[in-house]
Amino acid sequence: MNFYDYLSFVYGALSTVGVSFVAIIVGIPLGLGLALLRWARIPVFGKCAYLYVSIVRSCPAVTLIMLIYFGLPQFGISLNPFVAALISFSITATAFNCEIWRSSLLAFDRSQYEAAQAFGMTRWVRFRHVLLPQIWRSSIPGLINEMTLLVKNSPAISVIGLLDITRAAQRIGARTYEPIPPLLLGFAIYIIIVMLLIELQKRLETRIRSAGI
Amino acid sequence: MNLTDFQIIYDERETIYQGIEATLSLVFISGVVSVFVGLVLTPLFFSKVSWLRKAVEWLCSAMRCSPFLLFVYVIYFGLPSYGINFDKYTSGLVALIVYHSAYMAIILRSAWVDIPADILEAGTAYGFRGAAMIRRIIGPLLLMRSIPMVGNQWIQIIKDSAYLGIISVVDITAAFNSIQSIYFNPFVCFIVAGLMYWLLCLLIEFIVNGVAHYARERIA
Amino acid sequence: MNAIANPKPATTDTVLRVQGISKSFGDNHVLKDISFDMQKGEVVSLLGPSGCGKSTLLRCINWLEEPDAGHIRLNSERMGYAGSGAKMNDTQLSQMRSRIGMVFQHFALWPHMTVLENVMASPVHVQKRDRKEVENEARAVLKRVGLEDKMDMLPSRLSGGQKQRVGIARALAMKPEILLFDEPTSALDPMLVGEVLEVMRDLAADGATMVIVTHEMKFARQVSSRIIFMDSGHIIENRSPEDFFDHPQTDKAKTFLHSVQYK
Repeated sequence: MNFYDYLSFVYGALSTVGVSFVAIIVGIPLGLGLALLRWARIPVFGKCAYLYVSIVRSCPAVTLIMLIYFGLPQFGISLNPFVAALISFSITATAFNCEIWRSSLLAFDRSQYEAAQAFGMTRWVRFRHVLLPQIWRSSIPGLINEMTLLVKNSPAISVIGLLDITRAAQRIGARTYEPIPPLLLGFAIYIIIVMLLIELQKRLETRIRSAGI
Repeated sequence: MNLTDFQIIYDERETIYQGIEATLSLVFISGVVSVFVGLVLTPLFFSKVSWLRKAVEWLCSAMRCSPFLLFVYVIYFGLPSYGINFDKYTSGLVALIVYHSAYMAIILRSAWVDIPADILEAGTAYGFRGAAMIRRIIGPLLLMRSIPMVGNQWIQIIKDSAYLGIISVVDITAAFNSIQSIYFNPFVCFIVAGLMYWLLCLLIEFIVNGVAHYARERIA
Repeated sequence: MNAIANPKPATTDTVLRVQGISKSFGDNHVLKDISFDMQKGEVVSLLGPSGCGKSTLLRCINWLEEPDAGHIRLNSERMGYAGSGAKMNDTQLSQMRSRIGMVFQHFALWPHMTVLENVMASPVHVQKRDRKEVENEARAVLKRVGLEDKMDMLPSRLSGGQKQRVGIARALAMKPEILLFDEPTSALDPMLVGEVLEVMRDLAADGATMVIVTHEMKFARQVSSRIIFMDSGHIIENRSPEDFFDHPQTDKAKTFLHSVQYK
């Protein structure tokens, strides 16, 4: 492997982490919104949220990303591949985050919320100071787990020509006729990313515990 | 998007049947086999032989860190340098089985740890041990307790099977991709493909819910 | 202490011989040099404050816990060690265990099997006996504990008292040489205790050899041929129920009887 090969790994790692990171950032608030729609049992919207999650959750990453990248231009929306990847992963992350928030909401004791209501808190105050701190805390393991899932699905972006870690490894192997070393290097990078995420989870959990919320 | 798009899909049904057949057979075989392999691997987590225990722990954490596609490349491009050649379909199947067996083993291990200790102890006290203990007492409980998680993993298998199009296995996604590359109707093609995956997952959910209902009063 | 030691050599009727059993968990010495014998048909109640080691003793008898020192002999065969003196392998151990019936505090029924399957499991799969024959016996045993109409139900459908009666039937089906009861009624609602004690009383009257760990003092007095009272890992009294309940000799026993409000 030469210098440019290593450089392509760096580039691949950046797009892998970049896509996953952006998706989770977009997915957290949107997923929370959908979860709240279902939690509040708003008639039509709640059902729509359910349908959205059910369909997106079962759609393979490869299929979804091709739908976005090849399909949307039919309606005159031309996207560059990176934007298409971001949109596709955000759609997935939103659905998964909705499930994570929802299970935290289900575990949340509704009567607390009603108590807050009885004390005259406005809807926003109730949400911000009673609900959110508690469900945020119980959602962290799920959110980190979701992030690792996104990282593991990031090789899907190679089908629209983007370079991620796995694609970089495969390309180098095809050129040098020695497929195993670059694949192992790629694997090592994934291990590092996953371990960093687990470390992040530990940090977040200790911080939340010491903050006492 | 208009009616002719769907007409095209109907006319190309032969290709699509081929894709459905590939996806279904891959998912079905690897779904069943990985549960069995998982069942065989799980007791090794509790083995007294430390290298065996370490080996299975290492295998499972490795699979947990690796993206499925990377593992497919290892099987499809990597193994031939060691003289092991599979065709694309077999490579895909082997990759699905090995990769998801590790996840199944992790799922079953956590179910094992959750079985109330005194139920297992009663087994020991009544003379059950080794294979009989696993077959008669631990195994059935393990399977019934982990049904929801196993169902989730099956859905994961369905989704991962779509990666196999990249090594040119003609599965559902690849079939629709080949149609859209001829007729330039990507939106309808991938929407229909997505709906097929959805139906497949709904079917799995339906089955899992049925079995979970059966298991509910049998799991202590 | 002299009265406690084994006064005479084992006779042919000695079903269980416990000799010098000790067991520690880390620094915690749970059992200290425990010895006693049981003759065929004897019913011994193990009493004592919680944490005195009675449950551990029971678990040592069928080798669920391996004692640190001492011997257990079941009908003169040594538990845990083969004739050569080597440790028993799993197969030998499971054969020995299947000769001892154990009834658990929290029932420990196998939840995925029906009542009948629970009772048949060990005779069929461990003792490898003929299924038809076992099934007939299992039905008879279940009838004996009054559950002939619940045979095809799952344990989750039963009340606590019924579950424990299944537990007893499961033990009986192995035709055990001795029955061990580990607080069989303490997980039950007070209303359901009676039906289980009734079955046990019936067994005792039929001449079963039983070791019972229990907190039911009245019952212990009625059914036991002997009371063994333990405190912090030692056997402190080993006497007839009348002697023990009416004339406890040690202060520890007096305090204990007082605390459980036995009059």
